[in-house]
Amino acid sequence: MLFPTLAFGVFFLFVYFTAWSLDRENGRRKVFLLLASWFFYAQWDWRFVGLLILSAVLNWAIAALIARRPETKRVWLVGLGVAANLLILGFFKYYGFFIEQAGDLLARFGWERDLPLLQVVLPVGISFFTFQGISYVVDVHRGKTPPAKSLLDVMLLMSFFPHLVAGPIVRASDLLPQFDRSPRLSREMATHGMLLIVWGLFKKTVIASELSVHLVDPVFFDPSAHSAIDVAAAIYGYAIQIYCDFSAYSDMAIGIAALLGYSFPRNFDQPYRASSMQQFWRRWHISLSSWLRDYLYVPLGGGRKGLVSSCVNVFITMVLGGLWHGAAWTFLAWGALHGGAQVVERVGRSIFGGRQVIPTFLGVLITFHIVCLGWVLFRAESFELAMAMLEGLGRMGPVEVLTPLLLTLIVGGLAMHWLPPRAVEGLAERLKTAPSITLGVLIGIAILLVEAVRPDGVAPFIYFQF
Amino acid sequence: MTDDRNDHEPPLGPFPTHRPESPFPPLGETLPPGVTMGGPVDPPSDWMETANAHDLPTRENALVALGRYAFPPAPPLDDEGVAARDQRWTSRTIVVTTVFLLIFNAVSPLNWSRQQPPGWVPETVQALSQVWSDQLAVFGVDKPRQGVREAWKSAQAARFVGQEPTLTGADAAP
Repeated sequence: MLFPTLAFGVFFLFVYFTAWSLDRENGRRKVFLLLASWFFYAQWDWRFVGLLILSAVLNWAIAALIARRPETKRVWLVGLGVAANLLILGFFKYYGFFIEQAGDLLARFGWERDLPLLQVVLPVGISFFTFQGISYVVDVHRGKTPPAKSLLDVMLLMSFFPHLVAGPIVRASDLLPQFDRSPRLSREMATHGMLLIVWGLFKKTVIASELSVHLVDPVFFDPSAHSAIDVAAAIYGYAIQIYCDFSAYSDMAIGIAALLGYSFPRNFDQPYRASSMQQFWRRWHISLSSWLRDYLYVPLGGGRKGLVSSCVNVFITMVLGGLWHGAAWTFLAWGALHGGAQVVERVGRSIFGGRQVIPTFLGVLITFHIVCLGWVLFRAESFELAMAMLEGLGRMGPVEVLTPLLLTLIVGGLAMHWLPPRAVEGLAERLKTAPSITLGVLIGIAILLVEAVRPDGVAPFIYFQF
Repeated sequence: MTDDRNDHEPPLGPFPTHRPESPFPPLGETLPPGVTMGGPVDPPSDWMETANAHDLPTRENALVALGRYAFPPAPPLDDEGVAARDQRWTSRTIVVTTVFLLIFNAVSPLNWSRQQPPGWVPETVQALSQVWSDQLAVFGVDKPRQGVREAWKSAQAARFVGQEPTLTGADAAP
């Protein structure tokens, strides 16, 4: 069940009205939201609802044990909790990849074996809810968040349908306190939520879908058949597509949660206006980058032990971040590219100190093109295809795929990064005083415009595969 | 004019020809000091700058007074009351949007049902939404959506100057 579909619209209306009819019974409200979340998840594969429950029980039990023990005697419990979550993630996401690589390696040394290859179905959103589980266990150990008051809270934390399949990775310290009491809905929150849903709908179903179907997919399918301008347009187009796709999901998730009375953290902040790779990761998928910082980079030592250690740590963090996205060498290379670029930046900063060597606009341009190079690796199914795309940048020929509309969408997708940083919030502030009929009609008109131009079907969000 | 035959005075004109002297001074001239226009001088003003006309006692309608006694006004809203009011406002907004889309985007459920695998739910939705959208089309409410869609299609079909009108990417895609 995808957000921008009629089926989800009907589902959400039912959940919205039922949840608010239970607002005086917070416990029942949470049970209802949990059941609704499981129903939502079961639309992909009902068998994995059990995995979701198992993961929640595991994390709840370990966190409860951690909270009861003195600090010196619980490190192994934290290790157990992290290992259990990684084991679940590793089995479903990386088992096939590592077995395949191990088989190739053994064959290279002449020790060919019939390794137990399994076609493991990847549960949707597993990367998100396992990372959420890890952060919960570690935060309880660090004392950043108290253990949940009930198993129900942990189950709802991990299963809550707005963030379940593609984030943002909402931490226990953000959401558990909100589960303690019946939520309140303010006009500002509701208006902001509705505007985010409409904005996300537009980005996903109009910009991302149009670019994907008419430009990116055909060119990436066979780069050798296209000229330099088409290939370049496809690379830029994919940069806009993935931003509009993923940020749209986050916007809609935040908006849906807001209409149910819960607040999620921001996940994107105009990433393509970043003037350095470090800044890019403070603006792109913020919930993941802050997770990697707090639970990987800092425990590795962060920047406390000097420049070399800091560079090694950031490189390892980015490579593992790449691996988190998928079990493929191209994702590792993507992570290495981002890690390498950040290492160069750190070395540069240590040489030049605080002086700004590169003008901001040039920094934005360079950063954007490094990111685009990374997207080629990210999108291509193999290194050969990625190389074919890069080779295509030197091939002269007629423009066949790029059209004025697609060019407008690319330019528009970039231009939206230079809107006022809090434009949606500003608009919500103005519209919150409008009568409900006026706002309802305005939102109806906006959705009608999107519905009129969107394709009949809608492709799944890119981040569902992670 | 009289009936007396001996009255030889000329008849009066239809309009007065003689204007009586004005008691007021000519415009633009001021009265000499000490000269008044006649009549008593106004006493010094007792106007109070802080006075408000709404402070004057008014006689309340007996029925209104009774109504206030019978149905006393609600106390000012607390936080919970404000939240409940805002939640009702949000629900009304969502209902208005839903009704608006059911009218002006009536074809959407029909399109959705056509994309579903066969089953009683999609078939029922299809039958109902077909009737619904056909009835609304009679009133022309589908025109705005169609107009925007046609404009979008023509934008999709537009090409650069000199560009071949080849197959679009979607057609060429596998």
